[in-house]
Amino acid sequence: MIDVVDVIKTYRRGEQRVEALRGISCQIPRGACAFIVGPSGSGKSTLLYLLGALDRPAGGSIRIDGADLTGMSEADLNAYRRDHIGFIFQSFNLIGNLTALENVLIPFLPRGVSASLRDRAEALLDEVGLSDRKHHRPRQLSGGEQQRVAIARALIKDPVLVLADEPTGELDSKTGDEIYRILRRLQTERATTLVVVTHDRRFIRPDDLVLEIQDGQLLTDS
Amino acid sequence: MWRFAWKNLLTRPLRTTLALIGLSIPILGVLGLYSISGGLKNLVDDTLEKIQGVVVLRENAPSPVFSSLDPEYVERIAALPHVKNVAAEVWGFPPSVEGTSFMAKAASTELLGRLRGQTQQQRMQNLFDPVILSGQDIPAHQGLQTAVFANALLPPDQGGGRFLDHRDVGQNRIVISRKLARDFAGPDGQPKQVGDHLTIGSGDAAEDFEIIGIYDTGSMFLDGVMITDIDVARRILNVPDTMVSNIYVEADDPRRMSEVASAIEAALPDVDAREMDELSTDFTRLLGDLDKFLLMIVSLALLVGVVGIVNTMLMSTTERFAEFGVLRTNGWSRGDVLRLVTAESAYLGLWAGLVGSVLAMVLVALGNQFIGGGLKLVLGPGLLGFGIGLSVVMGVLGGLYPAWRASRLVPMDAIRLGAR
Repeated sequence: MIDVVDVIKTYRRGEQRVEALRGISCQIPRGACAFIVGPSGSGKSTLLYLLGALDRPAGGSIRIDGADLTGMSEADLNAYRRDHIGFIFQSFNLIGNLTALENVLIPFLPRGVSASLRDRAEALLDEVGLSDRKHHRPRQLSGGEQQRVAIARALIKDPVLVLADEPTGELDSKTGDEIYRILRRLQTERATTLVVVTHDRRFIRPDDLVLEIQDGQLLTDS
Repeated sequence: MWRFAWKNLLTRPLRTTLALIGLSIPILGVLGLYSISGGLKNLVDDTLEKIQGVVVLRENAPSPVFSSLDPEYVERIAALPHVKNVAAEVWGFPPSVEGTSFMAKAASTELLGRLRGQTQQQRMQNLFDPVILSGQDIPAHQGLQTAVFANALLPPDQGGGRFLDHRDVGQNRIVISRKLARDFAGPDGQPKQVGDHLTIGSGDAAEDFEIIGIYDTGSMFLDGVMITDIDVARRILNVPDTMVSNIYVEADDPRRMSEVASAIEAALPDVDAREMDELSTDFTRLLGDLDKFLLMIVSLALLVGVVGIVNTMLMSTTERFAEFGVLRTNGWSRGDVLRLVTAESAYLGLWAGLVGSVLAMVLVALGNQFIGGGLKLVLGPGLLGFGIGLSVVMGVLGGLYPAWRASRLVPMDAIRLGAR
């Protein structure tokens, strides 16, 4: 369960103080699929990054399965991200000089990659349909293939939470559909909580949780 | 992570190569200077090894050429316990040899060398060779066990001739080195031989000398010396008979050399009695000071090399903000990012060190072909290891600031900045 309570986030832009999130509270059950929607600049991505422990709120608290992210030290946040959270970005963000397989293994590079981890990475690439593209570099892959590598990278650590920021924003609709099919399948199989920021509501199903944000405030929680 | 760091460097080969050249050249400089310094040290040690006795000079005189002693000291030293042989010497720069003065010779070395069709090796050797005249007390020197020049006489079948003996007292006879024989070759280009003549001095004061012996010590510090009788040398060098330059002393037992040196200094307070070990230590200290001075100069070049690494790594990290953001979102700590960038700059340093070392090995090998006089540039494994180690340290230092900057990025900001 993700428990967000009265979260506030402010930025300084020059002399101006911008309130990106103004007291947002919500709950996302474990294993659910939640969509954060709203107009550009409404604070969707800010909320996503706060859930991913990439930034700290100015007020309020965020708990994931009982762990209070707002009270963690820098080192604990790093470890939490490394072990429990997977990220998928709009522009894939693969490392250009690493192969698909090495990109999947990025979270483990600083501490060494064991043979079992390598096997797991290969199995994940097989699952996303890239069994014959493991040793290709990002520039040798299509956009859809790169996003599938990013999905495998997000799942390599068996995360409790996968966060996706406009994962189909740079893909055509057919490839976007394919990416959502893969994401849905893997999320269901692993019972992982999936939170997606999107402008495209056609991927939302009736049983999904929708968090609609406008001007830094939650409009609906359905 | 090391493999990842290595791949990052190879992504931009031109930039990496330029930074590598920037650091490898100062490393080459460091290795070159230390190889010269090491070669000089070896040469001095080899030279001093040939001289086993104690050399008595005026206190603080740098060499026999700049020393003057009372000839009465010879008898006072001879009277000291455990002194076996005592031999007086007069040293100085001759006014001119074969019509060429010392200064003119130095100035015209290159030009004359070319006109004479000398090889580059010969011309380079000439740069190191001031000609010095040494006058020996012949009877006293004949009793020495460790007479350097007499022991270095060429064998008869190589035209060595003979050394000075009682027949040469007061005579214009001279022993020269093989190198001087070549330097003062005749008009036909043939080196001087035993039986040939040499003119020392100019105008009315010019005197003709018969060459009776040719030696070869193999050391550039000794092979510029011409040896004749002490009274003849006094006349040529204008040295009065009330002084000698130095006194060479042998002990009855080589193990008592230090004891004899101390006794001499105790009996004659205005002299230095120098053992060769002591001279070697002095020279090593002097070379050490020279090394420090040269290293300070090379440090400037090293600094430029490090600035090159800083610049390269700053450009590289600035272009990769999004990449660092992605790494941080995947659980990389600030320390991990710092280690990645530092590993890249350490690799740069390592390769610069290897390239600098290979260049230094090639240049030292070439240098040893051209530099003679017993000087052999030395570039051993220890020095190579030092050069490579220094280069790695410089690389790491150059990468620290860019690494720190990259590690301080907030992941969210890094991804946003990188996407622009």
